[in-house]
Amino acid sequence: MTTNSPIPYPFVAIVGQEDLKTSLILNVINPGLSGVLIRGEKGTAKSTAVRALADLLPEIEVVDGDPFQSDPRDPRAMAPDALARHLAGERLPVRRRKVRVVELPVSATEDRVIGTIDLETALKEGRKVIEPGLLAAAHRGILYVDEVNLLDDHVVDVLLDSAAMGVNTIEREGVSLSHPARFTLIGTMNPEEGELRPQLLDRFGLCVQVEGLTDPARRVEVVKRRAAFEDDPAAFAERWAGETEKTRQAIAAAIAAYPRVKASDAILYAIADRSLKLGVDGHRSDIVMLKAAKALAAWAGRDEVSDADVDAAAALALAHRVRRRPFEGIVREGGREKGEG
Amino acid sequence: MGRVTPDGARPPRRVYPFPAILAQEEMKLALLLNAVNPAIGGVLVRGEKGTAKSTAARGIRELLPPAGGASPPFVDFPLGATEDMVIGSIDFERAIRDGEPRFQPGLLARAHGGVLYIDEVNLLDDHLVDSILDAAESGENIVEREGQSLRHPARFILIGTMNPEEGELRPQLLDRFGLAVSVGGETDPAARVELLRRREAFDGDPDAFAAAWREQTAALGRRLAAARERLPDVLIPAHLAAFIGEICLRNHVAGHRADLAVARAARAHAAWHGRGDVNADDILAVAPMALLHRMRAGEPEMPPPPPPPPMEEPDDRETEESAEPPPSEAPEGEEARENGESAAAPPPNEGKGCDGGDAGDGKDDGGGDVPGEAQEIGATYAVRPIAQQTKDQIPRAGSGRRSRSRSASRQGRYVKSTPRRTERNDLALDATLRAAAPHQRFRRFAATRDLAVLIWPDDIREKIRERRVGNFLLFVVDGSGSMGARRRMVETKAAIMSLLLDAYQKRDKVAMVCFRGAGAETVLEPTGSIERAARLLADLPVGGRTPLTAGLAEAAEVLRRALLKEPAVMPLVILMTDGRANAALGGGIARDEALRAAGALGRRFPTARFAVVDTEAPGIVRLALARQLATALDAAYFKVEELRAEDLVSIAKSCER
Repeated sequence: MTTNSPIPYPFVAIVGQEDLKTSLILNVINPGLSGVLIRGEKGTAKSTAVRALADLLPEIEVVDGDPFQSDPRDPRAMAPDALARHLAGERLPVRRRKVRVVELPVSATEDRVIGTIDLETALKEGRKVIEPGLLAAAHRGILYVDEVNLLDDHVVDVLLDSAAMGVNTIEREGVSLSHPARFTLIGTMNPEEGELRPQLLDRFGLCVQVEGLTDPARRVEVVKRRAAFEDDPAAFAERWAGETEKTRQAIAAAIAAYPRVKASDAILYAIADRSLKLGVDGHRSDIVMLKAAKALAAWAGRDEVSDADVDAAAALALAHRVRRRPFEGIVREGGREKGEG
Repeated sequence: MGRVTPDGARPPRRVYPFPAILAQEEMKLALLLNAVNPAIGGVLVRGEKGTAKSTAARGIRELLPPAGGASPPFVDFPLGATEDMVIGSIDFERAIRDGEPRFQPGLLARAHGGVLYIDEVNLLDDHLVDSILDAAESGENIVEREGQSLRHPARFILIGTMNPEEGELRPQLLDRFGLAVSVGGETDPAARVELLRRREAFDGDPDAFAAAWREQTAALGRRLAAARERLPDVLIPAHLAAFIGEICLRNHVAGHRADLAVARAARAHAAWHGRGDVNADDILAVAPMALLHRMRAGEPEMPPPPPPPPMEEPDDRETEESAEPPPSEAPEGEEARENGESAAAPPPNEGKGCDGGDAGDGKDDGGGDVPGEAQEIGATYAVRPIAQQTKDQIPRAGSGRRSRSRSASRQGRYVKSTPRRTERNDLALDATLRAAAPHQRFRRFAATRDLAVLIWPDDIREKIRERRVGNFLLFVVDGSGSMGARRRMVETKAAIMSLLLDAYQKRDKVAMVCFRGAGAETVLEPTGSIERAARLLADLPVGGRTPLTAGLAEAAEVLRRALLKEPAVMPLVILMTDGRANAALGGGIARDEALRAAGALGRRFPTARFAVVDTEAPGIVRLALARQLATALDAAYFKVEELRAEDLVSIAKSCER
């Protein structure tokens, strides 16, 4: 289920949509931001951007052959099997690979998402063996749900469950297993087709509204690039390779810099103040805003969060958390962009 | 694809230290009290998202004193669990290997002696909640399935969290949680900042953070252990036992569970504070947590505590109390005793509201349809004629949540299995294997083919699936001139809005047909976007004649298309009109034509349910045309002025199923 289409459209070649691109990059810098919800009409490069992101993702180490993407160095990010081997003093085989984008199709069934019993082994050998689900594949990676608002209610419940705990628990069809499942949740939706449940909405760290470009010159540019890409994807990607590599390095630098970024007390108060003024539920908004602001500072190469970082972080983190009457659309702060629901 | 054998080592979790949780004192207290005395019956933590609900529930685990050298179990109840995994079932691996049916314990067995934690308990399937609460209450799990018949102890601290935005728990389930607390976000900036700092520190380095709090966590754990030890010796003086009864009576809580919960929690509270006697403060501290979720509305009201008896000698105390066993013992005995302890209060079945709780609470949904009691509450409109009328006319669905239905297709959640009845080809492999497993050794002799597992037709089990069926609400709104008079439309719109609010929570689909002037029009195609419906509603115009037949015809068309797309959907058609049809489609009398059309509509869509909301202005002369319409449609009938938001929602509910 990994999206490894031959050659994706280069992320850096996407025209405009700065909020979208920034929010995705911030999530790569700090996966603790727990994702982005991308709201917008059809044909606004939502899916393109997410698929293109795969190309920019850093490498991680996984236990080779482990379907649960266990981290060979962190027992907390190990599935039971790997953990048992680790505790037994075994040296776990390490493989380096890119962080993955795992796609969760809207039609996915619950057992496909959670994992289920492996029918073949059960029948042939009478043994209970687990066939890991998409949540196992997405551990330490990105879980991408296109049209997340159309997802079956049961699947949403399961997603909420594991997104909240960072653990997926399989308790079905005679098998029973928990394994870590920490993923960055990226969803796209067209608000015309109905809103998300508030609880799921809150699980997305950031939320961006994308709209079609209004500047004719840029629209032309979009079409031109798209045509060039479809003509010869390899050549097009090659043309952007330099830019892509630069972005990749910048992301790597930001990831390295992130732990050093400091936020002053004034900044923390500014963050709390914004949540209070807007009357958001709970505290997740504060936590996400701080992380986003730090990631923004790291991305800009600074080691101190600035007021501007907080502004930008607030724009991304607050819109979907404002306590609103049920029928009010999600409106961006300051009326900069209106995303009517 | 790699595969893994289940039941390996459990991965360590990042657990935020309990004492590092800022504020939320009530929630922390409720959790601690349950840890001191699991017989309290669990905690339900209600609150908005992002308020440390889950964090606190997980944190309590670290505090529990280890039992028998191992830390007590903490079972995270997954929403996707199937029934056999909860209750337990045959272990087919063992059955095939050894040829004997062996019981494989479920989650309830695993939680014994520890914590059973259900995140988002309001989203859990009802039949699972029932099984869990049965076990929580009786302290044992009774298994009667797949030829297995056994019972095993299942005593655990039940912790549930929920966000009311996602829908409420049924009142009879609410009642079975010993305590309930509400949590909210912190509004003091300094506190928020401190919280943010701690969270950041924890996320940055969970181990260092846990280490920094280790001493405090350990101290809390020691205090908990000491309180548990002290608990059996904690006494409730007789005059305070009466006080508990008075509190419960004063607040009109149904059933005697509240009395028990207050008494148990008060004793835990005293033990937690190192005292051997319950005092009035203990009771006042815990009573709100035990009462709030059992009351109809409002804040609990506390009567002044009674003065202590003049000469309080130790032998004045209720002596039975001293025989209190440790909390890990069977609760039955304790239950009996605590009933005795609250003997000063009226016996549970004397008061009207105290109907025992577990008997027959399937129908009382707390909506106040117990006659007689309403008068003393004062806020009476919840029991106005309409509520009783609904109760008498239509069986209530009881649940205020989305409708669920057994799914005939292969979609939906696998909830349990059944011997094959149909040819749906929806094999429940696990159940089939379990059914076949014990016979394997015997069947080997008769085997004609060399198969690993020999499955005979009798073994075949099918999945029973359940899916939530969203309602489809079709509003058919009269927009004629008569609706404009005396602000009828304002009332009508308010009514529709209230229904939309309900639809929003249940994620129903809505559509709207409006008829006025020359004809009818579908102003809103079926959509899941309630927001659009609400915006549209604001702009809905009024004026012109009343082409009721055209409206019904248009409604039929919308229904037809909706059912074509999704045959499983159960439409609820809400016709809002005064019934004064004055524009016919054909040449006849408009009103008769409309009535005929209504009758035809009802017959054409047998799965649809109908409700007529009469918008006729109140006055001396009522034409009651809408009433006739309702009869023709075989619809529930309501007058718009009787409808407050609460009642309206109950219409939708009463029409369900």
